[in-house]
This record gives sequence, structure tokens and C-alpha cells, in this order.
Amino acid sequence: MSRTAIVEVLWMATWIKNSVLDRANARADFAHAWGNIRAILAGVFFFAGGLAHAAGDAKPVALPPSATRAIDFDQDIKPLLQASCVQCHGQGRSKGEFRIDTRATFIKGGENGAAAIVGDSAKSAVVKMVAGVGVDEDQFMPKKGRKLSAEEVGLVRAWIDQGMKWPDGVSFAAGKQQPLPPRKVALPATADAKINPVDVLLAGYFAKHGVKAGAVVDDAVFARRVWHDVVGLLPPADELKQFQADSSPDKREKLVWRLLNDNQRYTEHWLSFWNDLLRNDYKGTGYIDGGRKQITPWLYKSLYENKPFNSFVSELVRGAEGSEGFTKGIVWRGVVNAAQTPQMQAAQNISQVFMGANLKCASCHDSFVSHWQLADAYGLAGVYADKPLEMERCNTPTGKIAPMKFLYPELGNIDANLPREKRLEQLAGLITSEKNGRLSRTIVNRFWKKFMGRAITEPTDDMDNEPWDADLLDWLAADLSDNGWDLKKSMARILTSKAYQMPVVPVAEGGQEVFVFRGPVVRRLSAEEFEDALSCVTGVWAAKAAFDPNGSAIKWPHKKARWIWSVAGAEKSAPPGTIYLRKEVMLQDLINGDAMLGCDNQFVLYVNGKRVAGGEAWDKPAVVELKAYLVSNTKNVIAVEATNTTNAPSPAGFFMTGTIIHRTGGARKTIDLGSDKSWSWSGKMEEGWMSSAFDPAAHGWKPAAELGDEKIAPWHIDKKWTAGTAVAQTGEPVRAALCAADPLMMALGRTNREQVMTDRPSMATTLQALELSNGSTLAETLRKGAAKLAGERGATADSVVEQVYWRGLGRAPSAGEKAAAGELVGAPVKVEGVEDLLWILGMLPEFQLVR
Amino acid sequence: MISGFQNVNLSRRNLLKGASAAALGAMAASFPRIASADESSAASRFGPDANPKPTADAVIVLWMAGGMAHTETFDPKRYTPFEKGIKSNDVLSTFPAIDTAVDHIKFSQGLENLAKVMDRGTLIRSYTSGDLGFILHSRHQFHWHTGYAPPQTVACPHIGSFIARALGPKNPAMPAFIDIGQRFDVGEGEELKSFHTAGFLGSEYGPFLIPQPAEAVQAMSPPKGMSPGRFADRSKYYKRLLENSPVREFGSDFQKESLVRSLDNAHRLLTSPASKAFDLTLEPKESFDKYNTGRFGQGCLLARRLIEGGARFIEVTSEYIPFFYWDTHDNGHTRLAKLKEEIDRPIAQLVLDLEARGLLDRTLIILASEFSRDMLIEGRPDSKVKNQVTQPDIMTELKHYGMHRHFTDGASVLMFGGGLKKGHLHGKTADERPCKTIEKRVVIEDLHATIYHALGISPKLAYEIEKRPFYVTRDGLGKPILEMMA
Repeated sequence: MSRTAIVEVLWMATWIKNSVLDRANARADFAHAWGNIRAILAGVFFFAGGLAHAAGDAKPVALPPSATRAIDFDQDIKPLLQASCVQCHGQGRSKGEFRIDTRATFIKGGENGAAAIVGDSAKSAVVKMVAGVGVDEDQFMPKKGRKLSAEEVGLVRAWIDQGMKWPDGVSFAAGKQQPLPPRKVALPATADAKINPVDVLLAGYFAKHGVKAGAVVDDAVFARRVWHDVVGLLPPADELKQFQADSSPDKREKLVWRLLNDNQRYTEHWLSFWNDLLRNDYKGTGYIDGGRKQITPWLYKSLYENKPFNSFVSELVRGAEGSEGFTKGIVWRGVVNAAQTPQMQAAQNISQVFMGANLKCASCHDSFVSHWQLADAYGLAGVYADKPLEMERCNTPTGKIAPMKFLYPELGNIDANLPREKRLEQLAGLITSEKNGRLSRTIVNRFWKKFMGRAITEPTDDMDNEPWDADLLDWLAADLSDNGWDLKKSMARILTSKAYQMPVVPVAEGGQEVFVFRGPVVRRLSAEEFEDALSCVTGVWAAKAAFDPNGSAIKWPHKKARWIWSVAGAEKSAPPGTIYLRKEVMLQDLINGDAMLGCDNQFVLYVNGKRVAGGEAWDKPAVVELKAYLVSNTKNVIAVEATNTTNAPSPAGFFMTGTIIHRTGGARKTIDLGSDKSWSWSGKMEEGWMSSAFDPAAHGWKPAAELGDEKIAPWHIDKKWTAGTAVAQTGEPVRAALCAADPLMMALGRTNREQVMTDRPSMATTLQALELSNGSTLAETLRKGAAKLAGERGATADSVVEQVYWRGLGRAPSAGEKAAAGELVGAPVKVEGVEDLLWILGMLPEFQLVR
Repeated sequence: MISGFQNVNLSRRNLLKGASAAALGAMAASFPRIASADESSAASRFGPDANPKPTADAVIVLWMAGGMAHTETFDPKRYTPFEKGIKSNDVLSTFPAIDTAVDHIKFSQGLENLAKVMDRGTLIRSYTSGDLGFILHSRHQFHWHTGYAPPQTVACPHIGSFIARALGPKNPAMPAFIDIGQRFDVGEGEELKSFHTAGFLGSEYGPFLIPQPAEAVQAMSPPKGMSPGRFADRSKYYKRLLENSPVREFGSDFQKESLVRSLDNAHRLLTSPASKAFDLTLEPKESFDKYNTGRFGQGCLLARRLIEGGARFIEVTSEYIPFFYWDTHDNGHTRLAKLKEEIDRPIAQLVLDLEARGLLDRTLIILASEFSRDMLIEGRPDSKVKNQVTQPDIMTELKHYGMHRHFTDGASVLMFGGGLKKGHLHGKTADERPCKTIEKRVVIEDLHATIYHALGISPKLAYEIEKRPFYVTRDGLGKPILEMMA
């Protein structure tokens, strides 16, 4: 057996914990990597014993030198600790009272006193013990297994000498379980009711940990933070200035609530967060053959309406109409591993997203890293299946059936005899039950991470880990359910706290010591936030959304609309003159309406008597928004004056495609406005013909004559009108979250969303920088933005620089910046210069980092 | 013992300084950590045998996307010329066999140039694709490129990303993983994206995409239409405005610096002399013409230039588009004649050029496809997989003459260089239908293990994600095929 294998196996051994006994029952043909572990372990112990003996013969007399290079904990130290220390001093074991669970327990040492003196490896007991220098034979560590080589001791020394960096989140402690029920945390009776409870709770925490709190960031930094966190946009310069000038004491709280109540912007920002969590996207694996279903319209609406979180979760768990895509999973054609069936995906995703529990390992075998077992995963997956499932261990059937259940039986049972739909209701009931404190803890913990950069419990998908302040977490969680599961109220609790307003704290390279909350950490704009922020500066937004929240109102080509006129055969020849066309529609609760129309030769469109648009070229259709002209709960009239302007008979026709979307009886309905024989016509313009009171039948109006569809001669508009012109230009910013991922977003970390993603990496990488430096997506945005800025009336270098700094950074440029940027922009203003300035702005840490 | 391996790792560190992976990893809980202790620096720590001794330091995968029939290329069987009324069941190969530079190895007609360089190569005739049920090209391609069959609970890295992660770039001015020839706005494009990714390893190790070899230079130069002078100015002004910024508090300088450093790196790459390797117009015409059979040929030429420039991992694909290129659902014979023309000359030239430059010994070339094809059998013989192509028992039209069904029980993989044996044959398929693997079956885990082995990477190397070790070969089970190593 090679040494490589030993190291690996020892590493694996640290995972085994309680599962060794289980494993003893594993099938002989257990083909998984963990498979032959017992046999291998036997070999290791045999081999290791031999080594220890050999090493004991040559006990060194002097400490090997400390390594001179920079130590990387993950690469250099962690494998050593895992291979040589964890067996006796981690995973719940504490030989000699020494535990290496955390950096603190490591330093503290055991019955012989401190193990390490940070910065002084030569005096550190642990170094002497692993080197076997100045200690008794029975203190020469590790007792079991291979002794460390001189080079390895040198690495440990260098690690201690260099400050003993210990990345956040690394723990060698045994897996624990946090309590499930919610817990009411009483605030001290002396607490001032005007003080945010978050701050009341943290006051005690800060006192205990010696953190000096009290400082808060200035208005500009605060406004930028809160705009970023609530709506994902930069504060517009005028609003920022107004905010800074405002002297009311509660202005920060008011700003938080104003932004939270900006439903559309809020929704279009948080869409990305939830799309990641619910692995929803507009394009992606599986859609091609129906193996996946979007939940976008449901999600948009739920966020817009701030659906109570318990209902939100219940609908997702049950697969209520529109939300079923989440539990449907992603299904590839062909044979799929037992741990990735749609039901198992549902079990994994529900557990991860809502319960902060990782069932992935347990979907294949009893987990080595948590208490979850195969039966837990299959029990939950079974609720989504037709009947209880037979468990497969590592893709091999076990012959054992897993009874249906939810992860925590103490919440209640699932009745396997109920039909699937009822079972899912039961399941949703258990997850959202008052007894389940995990649901609220998991989501408030995610919010804390979003706003502060680091969660109360890390990682956010492992809620069995110790929170750094259980009172705070439990109070926030209970507050959410007490407030009718209103997510915005929970967000506001955090956003209006003094803690949120604290200045940012450093994140040291290599992580930190035992985590103590001292304030938010610097965060980086996400892919969508970066694109939106640039759009805020340039005013250039995406041309087309992948999802139009108002409903795409125009269909092209339109299968039902026809060319119409007063007489049949008008496409060949019709007399000159004007005809009047009319269509009535009954509307309930208006959502949106758009139309695209054209006429050979001229038209004027009126909606409810108001002139909306006109056109004189049939090959250049007018694209119009009807929403502003339509009225809910009444009859609406679309009226058109259509004129064949020639002096002699010639082809004449009118064509319109469009829809109105409204809600009636709670359901979303579409009314087709396509021109056809349901339209009526008259040759006379009569008093009130455009009003809803007008009765066309009584005035002798007749159904319009249908000439043919969009393909007919002489117009052939199926080729000449394009889907491009059919996109209504609403002028509303199209947010990046509503668009399919472009190469820039992909480079900046937007994923394919095939798996649940609860935490995007935010590191700056070289490939990313390449995309930022020469990618065409960004270049195009900058080019358009520069043209727009440079083209503004009276633009000078000064005015452009001023604009760019205020819009992009929320402040005036300094004298030095003004000079340099002005030089770049040039006088007279050069578009290229503005483009370069915009690029530079986008790359500034001040722009990309939220401090 | 300190090998060249260590130096490679150092240069990776230089390039990736901008990333400062470890620190930000602390913020991103899902950031992968090395799980098994036998990577890079560990090589020296745990002794020289912790990792295999590398025999190659660069890889070129030549991807025959869509399913290349072994009996029509590198494993010819009995030839039956077309005539009206022949039985489909009688046809195993639609081309006659030709001699190669190695006596006992025959190729299919149309691969004459490759035949001449077979004495430099190792041919696997017993590669066996995954048995994934209903045939879906993108799913089998995912399996080939990651070693894992989708779906998976975590985002799987492409083999190029694993290699980029383990070894870093060979030349800091050259991205470690370059993917040439695939566009993603095609059918199954989203499914293709799903494995053209570094997955959980993070975008740092993702592919540098060059869909059009002829336009590669644009991917590695200042933005289109920007003069070098203006590009340099832009960078200069960036520094100036950075220095003049009154805002200095960022909690720590580290995030700020990593951002600035990554941009510095990009700027250096885009203006480095190495970027000239991307420019096919700089290739002498005579040489360009030797390669230029179309996009694929140009891709091979680009690969050669990039290897000369110090690239680590390159994939050149014939491009996957449903029903195009090697995805021959009809006219297989006619189409293969053309496809062979496209690949034969440039690949042979690539081998010869690398050899002439002394680079072949350290560059591992692998020509492969997601599975093979057969005229009658879909999937595995006797499997219940639904046929996707109708094939008449008696052929009357030329369009039916070819291998149109998806066959997963035997395929050829042709390899050159990188420490492999020369003129070597591994494995065997049956001479009668089903022409399936009958000797020395090679599965993806072992093929990957062999590639990793040649690069000095243990097949058990793993990265930790969500507390689980994720191995470079599935569950660490890959076994390198040592008998193919020289």
C-alpha cells in the first residue's frame, strides 16, 4: 500500500464515526469508494504500526527548521492534522484533554498546558511533541501511526510562526445537532423599547467579547449599502443628495422601508437570490425535453406580493400550481443514479434550502459527516413517490423499504396511505409547523449573511453547526413567525439595526481566528448587481428580458389575426377613402396590454377616445403600450381610422396583433386584440363612435372583411414585421435578473443553476478579469453608455466626470480624479474617452465592493 | 525530492495570486478544499511515490463530437461495398481497411495520413462508454468529460478544470484550460454548458472558450477596435484614478488588492507576447494550408501554436450540433468520407509538428468520442434502449448505408505522445456483430486515470465540497492502464 493511500484512508477514517457498524453490514460488492474501508484500515494500522516502531528508533535531538515559505492551511496543515491528530484529538475525542476542534482549543492544549504559542513554534509544546525533541518517548506524537517527517514538522512550525491561520468554518469537532423547536428569547427587562432588539441582544454579546461598538457609517455609505441590499441598485444621485440633506432622525429607517416597499425593484433584485436557491432559470439543462419546469411567474408574483414565508414554503413543498418546477427537479433522459431521482432531488433540495440540512451524502449511504442516514433521505423522497421506496445503497438495491417520513419525526408523521397530494400537504404542514424552529432559523440566517457577509451559523446549509450567538439567531427566527412570516419585516429588523450600520471589518487572507462578530464584512457585487449598477450609470439596460413580468403581450407571428378592410378583395384593390374600425373589450382587473399594428396606407389608433398612435407605412408597424389608456372593470373601445390615401383604387388593409392581460375571478386571462371579423366597420364617422356607449349595430356597422393572414401578398408582413419589432419598448429598465445569463454574468459567477446554490463565490479571478477586459458584452454596454453620456446636451469633460462619479460612486470626484478623468474624457468630449472612463469606473474596488 | 512539479505549482501561484483562493474560500462555504493529501506540494511531503512521476505536462483532447463509429475509423471490420439490395445485417464497415505504419494495425480508408503516424501512437480499441440508458449525446459527453454521469448533487468539473486546478497553467501567460470549437447557442447548448465548467472548483478553473479558431486572437487581445495605445492608456488611467481615490477603507485591503491584481493579470495576458500564439494569421501560409481542412483543422493548428506557447490543457472539438458532424443519423458513409478528410491531415500534421519541435514526448494527445455507432444496435447489444434511427433490413438507398445507431459497447481512442508507448495496440472488439469489446475493456475512469497518471496526478486526488471528497476519477476508483505507458 502506498503512502498516498494511507493518507487518504486515514483521512477517510476521520469521517467514519458512528457508521462503521452500519458498514459492517454492507454488501460484499459494495462498489463505492468508501467500500472496502475496513479491509484497508486493517492494512493501515498494520503498516502504521510498523512505521511508528521504525521512527521510534531514531528520535531526533534538535527541532527541524521552520519552513520558509508561506503556509496554506488547506494544502499544508489540514491534511496533516487529519492524518495524524484527529483520531485522538478530534471528532469528539480528547486524549490527554487535548482537542483540536478549533484554533482556540488547539492553542489551549490539554493536561500539560498550552499546546501552541502563536508566533513561537520553538517554544510550542505541540512542536516538541511531534518532533520528539525534549519530550519523553510516550509523548512523541502521534502515538499511533507514522511520525511526522522533518519537513512536515517544519510546516507545522512555520504555520505557528506565521500566526496559525485557521480558516473560518474549519472544525474537527464531532458533528452536533442543534435544537429543533423555536425558542423565545426574552429581551432584558431594562431594554429600551426604542432600541432595535438586534442591538439589545448584541450589546450583551459585544460586552462579552470586548467589541467596541457604537460607530456607524455615514449617510452615503449607508444609502449605498441599503440600496444594494434591498433593491440591488445604486442610489440615484439626486435621491442620495436628498437623503444626505434630510435631517430627520428616522431617515435611515424610512429609507429601508421605502425600498422594501418598492415591490417591483425589490422583486427584481431578490429574484436572483431565490432563483439560485430554487435552482430556477430561463434557460438551462433539462428544458429542452420537458425535464424541467420554470417557476418564474409564480416566484415573481410571490415576491411582489411578499407572500408570507410559511405559505411560500408550503406551496413549494406541495408543488402548488406554478411552483411545482422546484420539486419536479431536473430530469435527464436515460437511466439516472438512484441518488438523483426526481424524488430524491426534491428531498435534497427541500432539506438544504429550508432546513439547512444536507441529505446528499445520505441519499447514497448513511452519511459520514452528519447524523443523516439512508432511511432519512429515502423516507422523505418516498413522500414524493407513489409508494414507500426501496432503499439503494450506492446504487445497489438493499431490499429494505424506507417508511415515509420527514427528517424530524418529532414534528409529526406522514400517513403513507394518503394519496400523494394529501401527503404533500401533510409534509408542508410539518415543515411550516410551529414546532419547527429550523425553518425560520435557516432563512433569517441566510438574510444575515446576505446583509452582513457572514452568517450567524456557517455554512448556511449546515444549521447543525454552532451559531456564534444562539440568542440572536433564535430571537430573529421567532420574530419572523411572530410577525406572520413577513420576510420584509425580518429584513427590516436587521437593516434598521445599528449592527448593520457598523463600519466594515477586515477579512484577513487565510480566514480568521474563532469568529467574533464585529460588523459587516466587505461584499462584492454579484453578476446581476454589477450589470445593473453599470446600467444605473449609463442608463443603458438590456434590450430584452427573458421573462417579462407584465406578461409578453404581443405575439409574433400572430396565428389568428387577419388583414381586414371594408370589402373582400381589398388586398388587390379597394376604393380610396377612410373607413372606421372598432373593437370592444370587457376588462376586469387590468394587468397589461400591448399592440403592434399597421395599415396600407394610414391609420390613427384611439383607445377609449384618446389618440394613442398613428402610422403611415404598413411595413413599419407601430408598437404601442395600451396599459395607460385602458380602464379596469368596464367596457373598453379600440377604434381605428384607416385610410386608403391614393386617388385611384389600390390595395388597402389594416392589421393589428396584440393582447390585453387582465385578472378575472382571480385568474389571469388574455384577451386577443388581433384584427379579424370580430371588428366592425363603417364608412361614416358618427358622433361618439369611439365611446363605449355607442351601439355600432344600431348604426348599421358591419363585420370587417377578412383578407388573409400575415403571409398574404402584397404585404408579406410575416417576413417584414419581425419579432424584434414586436417587443414592446416599455422604457422600464430590464434588470439583469430578468435576463438569461450572458457570458459576462457567467464569468462573474452566475451559475447554470442545475444544483441549489446558496452561496456564490465572490472571488476575483483572472478568467473573470479577461472577460471584463475584452469581453463583448461589457464592451457593448460601455459603448452605448458612452455614446449616451457624451451625447447629452452641453456635455463637457467636467459634466461627464461629475455625472459618472455621482451616479457610479455616489460622490463628487476629488480634484485629482477630476483632473485625470477629465484628461481621459477630453475636450471636446470624446466618446472613446467616456467609454474608457466607464470601464475604469466599473473596475474600481469602490464600485465593485460594498463597504 | 523536489521535482519539476513543484515549479509548475509555483507558477500557478503567481498567476492566481489575484484569486487568493484560500481566503475568499473562507467566506464561501462551498469553496472546495483539497481533501486527499496527495496534490502538488504534498508530493514532496509524502515522498516521491505519493504521485506518479509525470511523463506529460500538456494535454490535447481531439473530440469527435456526435459518436464516431469505430468500424469506420480505427477498427475496420469486413468491408461490404454498397449495392442495392444488400442486407443491413451484413454490413460492418462501409470502407475498406488500409495499412498503417504498424504491421498489425489497420485503419479505415480515408485516414491515410494518420495511418502513417500510427507508429507514434497508442490505439485503444476496447473503450466502452457508460451504459446510461436512453441515448442522449450531451449526457454521454458530460460523462466522458467529467467522469460522472449526470445529474449529480454537486456541479462536476470538466477534466480540463481538474487539471487546471491540480497543475495550474504551464505558462502563466496562457490560460490553463482552453476549449476550441464549440458554440453554445446550438441544440442541447444548455446541456453542453453543463459540463463546460469548472463546477464546484470555481470559475477560476473554467474553460477559456474559443468557439471560432480563426477568431481566437480576439479572445486574447484588447477589445475589438481598440488600439494598443488606447488599451495601454486605459490601464494607465485606471491606476491613476485608483491612486487618486479618496476612499481607502475597505475593511481589508485584501479584497481590493485581489480585484486589482486580477485585472493586472488579465492585462498582462492580453498584451503578452504569448498572446500571439492565438493569431492564426501569423502562421506561414504553407503550414496553415496543411492544417486548413476547415474549422477543425484550424483548431488543430491553434492547438499546436498554443502548446508551443505553453498551454496546459486544450480541447479541440469537431463541434457538437445535433445531427451534424459525427452525429450521423443518415448518409453515414458519404458523411464519414468527408469527416475523415477534415480530421486526417490536420491531426497527423499536429503529431508531426509537435514531434519536430520536441514537444510530443511531453504532450498527451487523445482522440475520442462519446460512443461509437453501429448500423443495427442501439446502446448495448440486447439492451432495451429505444432505436432512434429507422434502418431497413434490405438497403435500397445510399442514405441508409452507414452507422446510424448509437453503440456503447466498444469504441476506439487514439492517443499520441505524453509518455505512452509507440505503435501500441490495446484491447480488441469482436470481428462480427455485435462488434463489442472482447478484450481489455477500458472505461472512462481508467482512461481518465491514465491521463492523470501521465500528468503526475493520482486518480485518487480529491477536492472537498460540502464536506465530501470529490475525486478526479469517480470515487477515486480509476486505475491507470500502465501497460500503455512506455
